[in-house]
Amino acid sequence: MKTLRPIVLNLVTWTLVLLIAFPLLWMIITSLKPQSELFRIPPTWIPESITFEHYWRLLSETPFLRYFRNSVVLAVSTTVFVVILGTLGAYSLVRFTYRGRETMAMLVLFTYLLPSVVLIIPLYLMIASLGLSNSLFGLILAHTTFALPYALWLLRSFMEGIPEDLENAALVDGASRMGAFKDVIFPQLLPGIISTALFTFILSWNEYLYALVLVNSESVTPLTTGVMSMLISAFNIEWSLLMAASVMMSLPLIVVFAFLQSYLTSGFGAGGVKG
Amino acid sequence: MANVTFRNVRKSFGEFVALEELDLHINEGEFVALLGPSGCGKSTTLRMLAGLEFPTSGEIMIGDRVVNDLAPGKRDIAMVFQSYALYPHMSVGENIGYPLKKRGIKGRERDDAVQKAAELLQLDALLDRKPKQLSGGQQQRVALGRALVRDPQVFLLDEPLSNLDAKLRSYMRAELIELHRRLGKTMVYVTHDQLEAMTMASRIAVMHGGRVQQFDTPDAIYNRPANRFVAGFIGTPPMNQVEGTVEGGHFITGGHKVPIDRSAYADALRDGPVVLGVRPEAITIGKGEGLPATVRLAENTGHETIVTLELPDRTRISARVEAARRLDVGHSVALTFDPDAIHLFEASATGARLNLDAKSASVVSMRSK
Repeated sequence: MKTLRPIVLNLVTWTLVLLIAFPLLWMIITSLKPQSELFRIPPTWIPESITFEHYWRLLSETPFLRYFRNSVVLAVSTTVFVVILGTLGAYSLVRFTYRGRETMAMLVLFTYLLPSVVLIIPLYLMIASLGLSNSLFGLILAHTTFALPYALWLLRSFMEGIPEDLENAALVDGASRMGAFKDVIFPQLLPGIISTALFTFILSWNEYLYALVLVNSESVTPLTTGVMSMLISAFNIEWSLLMAASVMMSLPLIVVFAFLQSYLTSGFGAGGVKG
Repeated sequence: MANVTFRNVRKSFGEFVALEELDLHINEGEFVALLGPSGCGKSTTLRMLAGLEFPTSGEIMIGDRVVNDLAPGKRDIAMVFQSYALYPHMSVGENIGYPLKKRGIKGRERDDAVQKAAELLQLDALLDRKPKQLSGGQQQRVALGRALVRDPQVFLLDEPLSNLDAKLRSYMRAELIELHRRLGKTMVYVTHDQLEAMTMASRIAVMHGGRVQQFDTPDAIYNRPANRFVAGFIGTPPMNQVEGTVEGGHFITGGHKVPIDRSAYADALRDGPVVLGVRPEAITIGKGEGLPATVRLAENTGHETIVTLELPDRTRISARVEAARRLDVGHSVALTFDPDAIHLFEASATGARLNLDAKSASVVSMRSK
């Protein structure tokens, strides 16, 4: 019995892992297969020959790199906007008392509950009337509006975990409000800021609908809509190119996660205040 | 130059009035305790002095500067928080040096000052540690170090010892008294612990319901409480209060006469209802002559016994007797009060002391305005 238990547990765990990872693995395998091997039945699990020709074609013959650059600009700008606005907003919600504070916070959350399909037409009209339709900046604003509500609530709960006395102590010690924020609040908030940034980046990186509706010129199209319109047409799906594109699209997220994971789990703010 | 004055200070949070009307004058170099139950306004008072709250009306002065509109960092004060509020991401040395850093003191000068403060508090071996690696007592000392490193005019301490265990607390009490003696700075100390206030402060402001009830030396607070609240708050167990009447210069309760020292009251002693106050140690338990009572409980603490007694009108009072004294629960006894240790208060809600001297009277008359 004693030896059986860990074996069963391991078996179950690894089955689950494989089940979840399978699409990912299949994506990588497909992207490395030569065209001839692609639709063979039964499928080859391990490619007979590995080729990088799809990657090469994607990079040299398609606007993939331009899309990639647009996506990076889009996701990074959105993240910066959301983190700055979210932090300021959360600070205000937690530290100051004013009329309508809770109502405002609830309203912001309410917009998050509405599906984006409902919001997209008014949003499109607003952005068009600002003269920002078909621009990357317009799309950045749109992404900011849908990532901000959740980010605000996330940062708010992190901010609530920081004792007010820490900030008061800094004020008494001679810091200005900005100084206290920079020296004391920000370092404590960092894990919260990193998780919020990560969340926002992923949301913006993967976003499809707003990009589809708000942007249609080649020069500002991000990866999601760009790759789709480039490789999927009514008559043909370029599977190997699509898989190669997908691998390269996932790469930045995996890298970012790998680097920030330790920040997310470390929670180094604990223990400074007693009581 | 660093005396502290509150003049007609009022503070309300919306509908809620935290401080009704505060007038306090703290002299330079004094150690003043603000003592009271929670919600009495003592912490609000301290936070207004620190600049973390702003008075609704009135004036706060440090030295001869009105500081009402001055940012906390510009008031030349230092504060020790109940939670210590150490910066978790900074080392002990960085924590202590932070106030200096914010005042633009750099390099060698800052290091020396931090070193000096750390040595004074025996923290010099811990300068590189992070706060969470320290014990409660050490964290407390870091908070003190951060306060005294830059030699402020006034120290504000907000229940600094309440998170320590009993043994460490009595040790830190002695340390703080010593520190105050050595620095000679004005200190304002908020506490709900009367032992801390009585042992450390040169004067105590007893607060209740957003008002100062009495502001005097520990001795006067204990021996001449200005009203029934102070009498019932100070002392463990506190002063007993017995309702009765004055008739022809005697105190009568339940048909029994209690002798009082009439000379202490002059013409303040008029016939009518009053409340008699007597400390547990001024009660003698005997047989025969005296106020009849029944023993309800005897608690032996080792060096004394606290006896709970019930008077015929069901009022419960406590008396302090020597530990060896055996008193059986349910037995009838007769009580006599030391006439010199009897206090008389008005029977009204405020319950002011009948023979107030001028100084305490001013505080109480403001109360009844």
